[in-house]
Amino acid sequence: MISPTSFAYVADLLRRETAMLCEPGKEYLVEARLLPLARSAGQPDVDGYVALLGRDPSERAKAIDALTINETSWFRDLAPYQAFTEAMLPPLLEARAHVKHLEIWSAACSSGQEAYSLTMLLKENLPPGWTARIHATDVSTTMLERVRAGRYSQVEMNRGMPAQRLVTWFTRAGNEWEVSPELRSMVTTQHLNLAAPFPPMPVFDIVFLRNVLIYFDLDTKRDILRRVSTRISPDGFLLLGSSETTLDLDDAWTREAAGRVWMHRPRTAARPAAAAPAPITAPALSQTGA
Amino acid sequence: MHALIIDDSKTMRSILRRIVTELGFETTEAGNGQEALDVLEAGLVPDICLIDWNMPLMDGYTFVTRVRADDRWRNVTLMMVTTESEHGQIVRALAAGAHEYVIKPFTPDAIIEKMELLGLFAQEVPA
Amino acid sequence: MTVTLEPSLGDVHAVVEEVWSSFLGAEEPILPLATPMPPGGWSAAITVTGGWDAQITVNLTDAAAQAVTSTMLMCPPEQCSDEDLRDALGELVNMVGGNVKSLMAGSAVLSLPLVGHGDISPGSHLVEVCRLELTWRGEPVVVTVHLPPAADPS
Repeated sequence: MISPTSFAYVADLLRRETAMLCEPGKEYLVEARLLPLARSAGQPDVDGYVALLGRDPSERAKAIDALTINETSWFRDLAPYQAFTEAMLPPLLEARAHVKHLEIWSAACSSGQEAYSLTMLLKENLPPGWTARIHATDVSTTMLERVRAGRYSQVEMNRGMPAQRLVTWFTRAGNEWEVSPELRSMVTTQHLNLAAPFPPMPVFDIVFLRNVLIYFDLDTKRDILRRVSTRISPDGFLLLGSSETTLDLDDAWTREAAGRVWMHRPRTAARPAAAAPAPITAPALSQTGA
Repeated sequence: MHALIIDDSKTMRSILRRIVTELGFETTEAGNGQEALDVLEAGLVPDICLIDWNMPLMDGYTFVTRVRADDRWRNVTLMMVTTESEHGQIVRALAAGAHEYVIKPFTPDAIIEKMELLGLFAQEVPA
Repeated sequence: MTVTLEPSLGDVHAVVEEVWSSFLGAEEPILPLATPMPPGGWSAAITVTGGWDAQITVNLTDAAAQAVTSTMLMCPPEQCSDEDLRDALGELVNMVGGNVKSLMAGSAVLSLPLVGHGDISPGSHLVEVCRLELTWRGEPVVVTVHLPPAADPS
């Protein structure tokens, strides 16, 4: 297992090169990602490999790539989904009690794992009589077709999906697993290029804009966030990727801590500058039930 | 932390052993459910068992039911790792008390992420 | 109502691809190309009985079999014994066969794998319904699905 010194070096490298944060607790993931590279480089272990990163720019680049691969997976990183359930839903359930409906935007939805992960959480947490819609958008029409089909390979289903949820919400279709019609009916899709003016869209209660701003330059990032702020309700929530922050981008937002995640809220006269962190309970074995 | 790897294939046991050893686990191996039960009876209390389904002498499903029926092993996490991938088989295994289920073939990330979901890497949060 | 009695070639291909990419494809993927299979080599078979009866077989040359074993066991090919090969190929066909089994309706049971060296073909009474010819590292890999002769409809 990677030593604390090597882990600190890698975390520092990531922060400097990509602004991504690598928190303590993720040693196992760094170990898993770097070990294949260590072997290819003829090193017996990750510590040996990290020792040569200082003097080998091409290995450094490979290491950074391996650590920042944006693979899609269900309930990816867990913490944002905990924030969704424990910090975002409760106040919104109060605030929207008169309409009993939530509008959620999964921006840059890719193959839809994020959107469908959210539908499962909604099914598990919305009181009777409530409805919700996840609007999934992406610049790729191929991806949108995948979201509509709601089919995923065995290998994709192995990634981060609790087995209980798998059997509750999916059935076999050939060699793949298909999401239930009930969940699919909660998801709408639309082609959307974040860098271009948005098509007509409702105002959303929650926006998931995770791990996509990193692909844009600073001016475009600012412009996207400005336009997103017009599509989010004043008491809504914006969630970026775990390493992303709007802190130095746009003062139209404040942020509140929810566990290890920052929830961004539109800055309004009514919103306090800094809110107390919302309590997040630790994940329990039983927290996978239907 | 200790993992008990239960599979009649030496090849699969070595693949799983490599994955969990790199995560810092010590490992013990068994070739079928009966051997695995013998290991538990002899006093080993693993943190997690990785369990194949189809094995001679005693299959993984039966092993799961036997472990879950015994209070001595109530804190042992049971994760099936198997080619049995029909919806009904997974439902059966979970109903018998398996905590998680990985379908073969799998990538190391899949095992690691499921172990994270099970809280096996839970850290003390600094005050 | 038509009852599907055999898996589609596309689904079997997807199964084999997933097994390969998970454990064997890091350096070279398995390709949908047919390469002539020389005589001899290794044969790994597994049977399914119950709701669906079938035999799934994977045929490989000596070189491919050694490469499979060496990759999965992470040991140099020259250090892989015949016993190692039998075990690795047995697990390979276990994964392919198990996933093919789950493509089909009805509950069925997977046998233990049977691995042999030399010319081993499924029983002559069995009918080949699916044949996948692939190439990995320049070596042919053939996956077949055989069914017992069709029973008379009752």
